[in-house]
Amino acid sequence: MAIIIEAQDVKKSFRVAKRRPGLLGGLRSIINPEVRTVHAVNDLNIEIQRGELVALVGPNGAGKSTTIKMLTGILVPSGGYVRVAGLKPVEQRRELAAHIGVVFGQRTQLWWDLPLKDSLHLLRHLYRVPEERYTANLKHLSEMLELDEFIETPVRQLSLGQRMRGDLAAALLHDPELLYLDEPTIGLDVVAKARIREFLLSVNAKRGTTILLTTHDMDDVELLCPRMLIIDHGRKLYDGSVTAIRERFGGERILIAVLETALQNQSALQEELPAGVSLLSSQGPRLELSFGQRSLPAHELVAWLGARYPLHDVTFQEPEIEDVIRRIYEEGLLLKEGAGVKKH
Amino acid sequence: MRMFLYDARLYFWLISMQIRAQWQYKFNLFLDIVTYFGVTALEIISLLLFFIPFPTLLGWKVGEVALLGSIMSISFGLAELVGAGIDNFGDMVRRGEFDRMLLRPIGAFTQVIGSDFRLRRLGRITQGGAGIVVALWFLPNLHWTLTKVLVLSIGILSGTVIFVAILLLGATICFWTIETTELTNMLTYGAREMLSYPLTIYNLVLQRIFLFVFPVAFGTFVPACYILGRPLPFNMPGEVAFLAPVIALIFALIASQIWRLGMRRYQSTGS
Repeated sequence: MAIIIEAQDVKKSFRVAKRRPGLLGGLRSIINPEVRTVHAVNDLNIEIQRGELVALVGPNGAGKSTTIKMLTGILVPSGGYVRVAGLKPVEQRRELAAHIGVVFGQRTQLWWDLPLKDSLHLLRHLYRVPEERYTANLKHLSEMLELDEFIETPVRQLSLGQRMRGDLAAALLHDPELLYLDEPTIGLDVVAKARIREFLLSVNAKRGTTILLTTHDMDDVELLCPRMLIIDHGRKLYDGSVTAIRERFGGERILIAVLETALQNQSALQEELPAGVSLLSSQGPRLELSFGQRSLPAHELVAWLGARYPLHDVTFQEPEIEDVIRRIYEEGLLLKEGAGVKKH
Repeated sequence: MRMFLYDARLYFWLISMQIRAQWQYKFNLFLDIVTYFGVTALEIISLLLFFIPFPTLLGWKVGEVALLGSIMSISFGLAELVGAGIDNFGDMVRRGEFDRMLLRPIGAFTQVIGSDFRLRRLGRITQGGAGIVVALWFLPNLHWTLTKVLVLSIGILSGTVIFVAILLLGATICFWTIETTELTNMLTYGAREMLSYPLTIYNLVLQRIFLFVFPVAFGTFVPACYILGRPLPFNMPGEVAFLAPVIALIFALIASQIWRLGMRRYQSTGS
């Protein structure tokens, strides 16, 4: 497989002038600015293969946008090596632009007062898409995204979900090899989210488009991206699958069992439970048991329970990945491990 | 060169979209143009009221000042019409639209200037045209030649280029600091206001500034003097009126270099 994004030891620091309060302070700030350096991105290493679907995750201000800006050539890195689609992003920005598509969930690139169709038509010229390819792509995209129902409507009258579909079509008209998505599902309802995800998966599968997306929605990551990068304080904290991180930090899983009859002796059960398993609650025939990832396999726990009580129904609850990520941000789980960045 | 031609074609695509968008609200647009015509006509009328108590302004008669003011109105109106996108640049940066432009395979300047084309500025241009008719009515003895018409046209176009370049310089300051509108307004509206009067009423420093630093006078005062057969300050021969396009291009070139410098700064600071 060929590498499409390669970033080695990429750094970005900004010099920020502190403003002193008041009119005199403002004047002093101009003459003798008090400057401090902010390190937005520190020695970041990213390598993405063609055709991958990767999520870039991190709290606000973690350095995600700065990273994307450096990968697209908008920002000059303070140090390090960057190649995207074999090009130097800053020096060859205009050339690179023809190879990438970008969608910002928060703001549209469509012309507000004009029908969607007109925006797409103009973008064809901005990206120099040959007529035939444009027609074919537009036909294909409007089938997949069902654009026909609103393609003649001015963009300002579209719903957020429709606008997002329009923006996705706009970003893909020129057949980019690489698609950056910044919070593509933000503010959308469940149906619209599912539709966008389905579309992205199919673009990735059928066209082989590499997709790098930033998101705060862990469902996006779980349902779309086999690989996830966690960035915080401008550093890469994790590079691997969602499953792996759940296994490492997920803590307890929960077994919900419904017995044939109500549980008679709660304390007897509690005493008997295998090591690493604890009873969370019992209500009539319904039990909730939590057990550690490594304490015993789920099927053994079910067998153990089944040998003692007639079971009516069993379900498992996986640890919420949102919870895990929150703990990573707040408690610095990965930071404590020092150089514990695991390659997948 | 091919790149430039392509960008030029795209510019026309971009503004034709703008025109179509504004055309959607035809009645609104019409009202805007009429209102703008009225407001700018009042500006000229108040300028001319001066001549009721005083017959001349340092030897300039009412028709002559009306001609000068109308040339100014047309070239400034054209600059406002074409350069509206540049005028909005600060907002564009703040809203992140400029980043979006950097993600497209076309020059950033083409996209910035193509992002707006404010048709309602036609009001000022129409007013300038009407002003010239009024001026000619005041100046029945003015002898017109083909050369004078040529000087008038290149003067207006050069003035437009110079004003657009000043707008661009103002926009470029956004790369360094965000609050810049006042400085640009001083240069654009200030220059327009001042140069609606004959340049020679100001002190020599200001005359030099408007001739050689921000050469707005080359688009208005210098061609007006040529047409009216008036002497130029600093003993310049009247024929320098033909240099207006050269001066405008040099000024625009300097502005575009400073813009490039600003772009480089933007890419290293991202703000």
